[in-house]
Amino acid sequence: MIRTVFAKWLWDSRRFLLGWTAAIVFVGCGYAAFWQTFEDPEVAELLENYPQAILEALNYTDITTAEGYLSATVYGLVVAVLMIVFSISVGTRIVAGEEEAGVLDLTLSHPVSRLSLALQRVAAYVTAVLAMLAVFWVAMVAISGPASFDSIPVGRLAAMHLHLAAFAVLFGTLTYAVGAATGRRAFALATGSGFAVLAYAMSGLIPQMEGMEWVRDWSPFTWLNGSEPLVHGLDGGHLAIMLTLSLVFVAVGTVAFQRRDLAV
Amino acid sequence: MTETVIVTQGLTKAYGHTQALRGLDLEVRQGEVFGFLGPNGSGKTTTIRILLDLIRASSGTATVLGLDPRHDGVALRRRLGYLEGDFVVDGRQTAGELLRYLGHLRGGVPPARITELSERLGLELDRKIKTLSKGNRQKVGLIQAFMHEPELLILDEPTSGLDPFLQQEFTAMTREVTAEGRTVFMSSHVMSEVQKTSDRVGILRDGVLTSVDTVESLRASTTRRVEVHFDREVGPEAFADVPGVSELSVSGALLRCRLDGPADALLKVLAAHTVVSLTSVEPDLEELFMDRYGQGPDAEVSA
Ligand SMILES: Nc1ncnc2c1ncn2[C@@H]1O[C@H](COP(=O)(O)OP(=O)(O)OP(=O)(O)O)[C@@H](O)[C@H]1O
Ligand SMILES: [Mg+2]
Repeated sequence: MIRTVFAKWLWDSRRFLLGWTAAIVFVGCGYAAFWQTFEDPEVAELLENYPQAILEALNYTDITTAEGYLSATVYGLVVAVLMIVFSISVGTRIVAGEEEAGVLDLTLSHPVSRLSLALQRVAAYVTAVLAMLAVFWVAMVAISGPASFDSIPVGRLAAMHLHLAAFAVLFGTLTYAVGAATGRRAFALATGSGFAVLAYAMSGLIPQMEGMEWVRDWSPFTWLNGSEPLVHGLDGGHLAIMLTLSLVFVAVGTVAFQRRDLAV
Repeated sequence: MTETVIVTQGLTKAYGHTQALRGLDLEVRQGEVFGFLGPNGSGKTTTIRILLDLIRASSGTATVLGLDPRHDGVALRRRLGYLEGDFVVDGRQTAGELLRYLGHLRGGVPPARITELSERLGLELDRKIKTLSKGNRQKVGLIQAFMHEPELLILDEPTSGLDPFLQQEFTAMTREVTAEGRTVFMSSHVMSEVQKTSDRVGILRDGVLTSVDTVESLRASTTRRVEVHFDREVGPEAFADVPGVSELSVSGALLRCRLDGPADALLKVLAAHTVVSLTSVEPDLEELFMDRYGQGPDAEVSA
């Protein structure tokens, strides 16, 4: 029985969420299984001959260990991008998409405050992110033996997944905030995607420019895996930055949402 | 218990350069059906959405059930039923799923009540909403507004898309609401519809209330266009002096005129001839405005 905005959102999104979970598990595990090829000494040698700058731009600096490979490809690129796309897509829907579709009036004509509606939906989204990455974690643990990365402790994998969750939520909450503040899906989408492109450039291309090395420390991609959670576990500082920023986004977006007119 | 359930004073609303409301003073009393009548774009939906705190007035005050929508929105909406002018919902759920969920948001509506209303209106609860026709979707909207028996129903063009049988059923439902001392505030731009359901009618024009009247007095003052076909040619002389008749034109066996007030005198004169057919058309809303209030669409320009 669906009784709350929180449960309603999860239930209504069930197919969407299952589809995304499946995509992340298949693509993520697919790339992870590829690690065996890289373990081959010949491939390692081949990579060593690549110009260092290109590898750095691609974030592929330490690709010769399981941790380095997974961190650079699976977590730092493929699944990271999938989680960003998922989060931006959900972030636009939380308020702006519904508002533009004209279905927000009905809920808000009930005894539900805007604050409660917004926070319940954001909470549902964060729950979905955690659930998806938990499922993906189970899948990664399951294939770690056959794919020969079971040298990585499952706890370190979990730490990586938590970093990834905080990283994804950063994009989702920014997109939500712009949508909630403006009611415009297009603005939310543009801001979220722009932030993603900027974040990627800040971790690869921009730091290679003269005197711009410092930019790397401020890229969400650095907060995601710069501390090598697969090797060292959780990084309190990076997690704190991501969570604080997300909270600020949610707070600003929600306050603005409460103050403005709703579109019909 | 409050005597007046909706009071607005000097309500204004600007959307950028568009002035949608220009000082609306409105009073709706407990236990009545109040028809909120006005042409397209006159500000009906704007007013209603301010009462629900979906949008905020630029200036002026609104009090609903003794509460300020801006600050006691949740407490207020707990006691309201609302139907949007354009009722849209996610079509992938069934009508029953949606109504049960909305019932929970209201703190629980007995399932029997939902079933009863859906049977009364002839709505299939297990159909996906996207497969329903426009009228059937409107039924879902009506049920969610009525199901928790709120003290006040605020309905934005509730009968659009409903067939005559359902319009009748709707009228009966509003009667039941007022019989229990509850109140209905509904907007419309169809005069005849408001006449059927409402006790009092407020007429909105360009964001101000131009008049508030009971339906009886509106009807009595209504202007009609009358057209009569006789079996042979008639002269205009006999009709020119009939009380209430103006703009008379007679050509051959056809008479056209405008009739203000009771039709009795004209009928008595017509009875002296053989009448083949007689039509009496009530004016549409715009005509009513122009005739009764002497304000054409460009009234602001000269005022
Ligand atoms: N979001 C908006 N932005 C700009 N102008 C608006 C907006 N909503 C309404 N308006 C304008 O405000 C005026 C009043 O609109 P409103 O929707 O209240 O009219 P209405 O009486 O409900 O009309 P209808 O009978 O067509 O539903 C119109 O001129 C309309 O164009
Ligand atoms: Mg309207």
